[in-house]
Amino acid sequence: MRTRTRYLPLEDTTPGMVLGAAVQVNEHGRLRYSLPAGHALTEDNLHQLAIHRAEYVFIAEPDLREDAQVAVDVALAARRVMDIFDGADLTDPTMAAFFDQVLAYRSN
Amino acid sequence: MANERITRDEVLDRAPGLPAFPRVVVEILAALDDPDASLELLAAHIRHDPVVTGKVLAMANAAASHSRRQSDVRDVFTATSLIGVGRVRETTLTTHIGHFISGLAEKGNGAGFWQHSVGVGICAEELGLHLNLHLHGDMALVAGLLHDVGQLWMSRFRPAESHACWRESRARAISIDAGERQCFGTDHATVGAWLAEHWALPPPVVAAIGAHHHGAGASNHVLLPLLHVAEVVCNALDIGARSENRVTAISRAACERLGITWNAGIRPLFGRIEARSAHANQIFTNN
Repeated sequence: MRTRTRYLPLEDTTPGMVLGAAVQVNEHGRLRYSLPAGHALTEDNLHQLAIHRAEYVFIAEPDLREDAQVAVDVALAARRVMDIFDGADLTDPTMAAFFDQVLAYRSN
Repeated sequence: MANERITRDEVLDRAPGLPAFPRVVVEILAALDDPDASLELLAAHIRHDPVVTGKVLAMANAAASHSRRQSDVRDVFTATSLIGVGRVRETTLTTHIGHFISGLAEKGNGAGFWQHSVGVGICAEELGLHLNLHLHGDMALVAGLLHDVGQLWMSRFRPAESHACWRESRARAISIDAGERQCFGTDHATVGAWLAEHWALPPPVVAAIGAHHHGAGASNHVLLPLLHVAEVVCNALDIGARSENRVTAISRAACERLGITWNAGIRPLFGRIEARSAHANQIFTNN
């Protein structure tokens, strides 16, 4: 099954959600708390993250959309990016590199 | 397309007709390098400010509910120990600037303007962290929150001409600042910098507001290119989903000055900016 990844504020996370990337909370240059990628969050993890003042986590979720729906969503997102960059000079290397990353991010 | 020019004298002569700029913002920024003074200032201010107190307590209670504390957090000192001085300071700055902007914005346009301002502030903070810049995050936040304040002045004191100018700029597919210079001989970034200087904001904030469309100015401070790139990224990510979100230019010199590279490693930063902007706008929507 496909997965979708996104950053979520800690307030919006619930036990059972799976981390899409490791969490490392540093305080004063020291690693205070960490969890590995792929870990399913527990209530205790959320408690620890809250008291270590984490603001958000990177979550991986099952993508339940049909392939056709994925294609439509990607096309719509790409069209909006094109609209936003409509007046941009994409022959400029800096602009082109920036545009490519925004488009790739939106196509996820 | 030309109108009567907007001059610095006109902007400052009319500034007293705006809501009073919150002095606490200037005081907090002036005390950033002195943690003890900053803490005393915050404590003294919050004691007399029920709005900020309410927001700080709400954030602390949200954190407490996740950390399984049994009782409600009801005092600011407990709340500060739970969420940290940095977030209390950020809340104070954002709440006051939010109220100021909401008093200044046109009816019906305030929400989109504020979402964009918060987005640019968060983006500037996150970019600064990502690039390990030696810059206090609150300085970047305030510059982002106020970067378009010149547009609000123009909207209030030259409403018909400004709206016609902005419509025409969009129709001609030229940048808004270029259109304004043709219409008024100056642009909203410069108007904003005149106001920021009048309110005694720190010189790097003044210079960054004035340079936010190109990232360069008389000052070599890193906040100038940072605010420029932050605004471009915020528009590119469509934060606030505004029709005005357009990317027409990004300064190569600004990117080089920041040491930013547009490769796949930048995409997690985009995600963090979106998550934090959405979160901040949830908290501060009712400003």
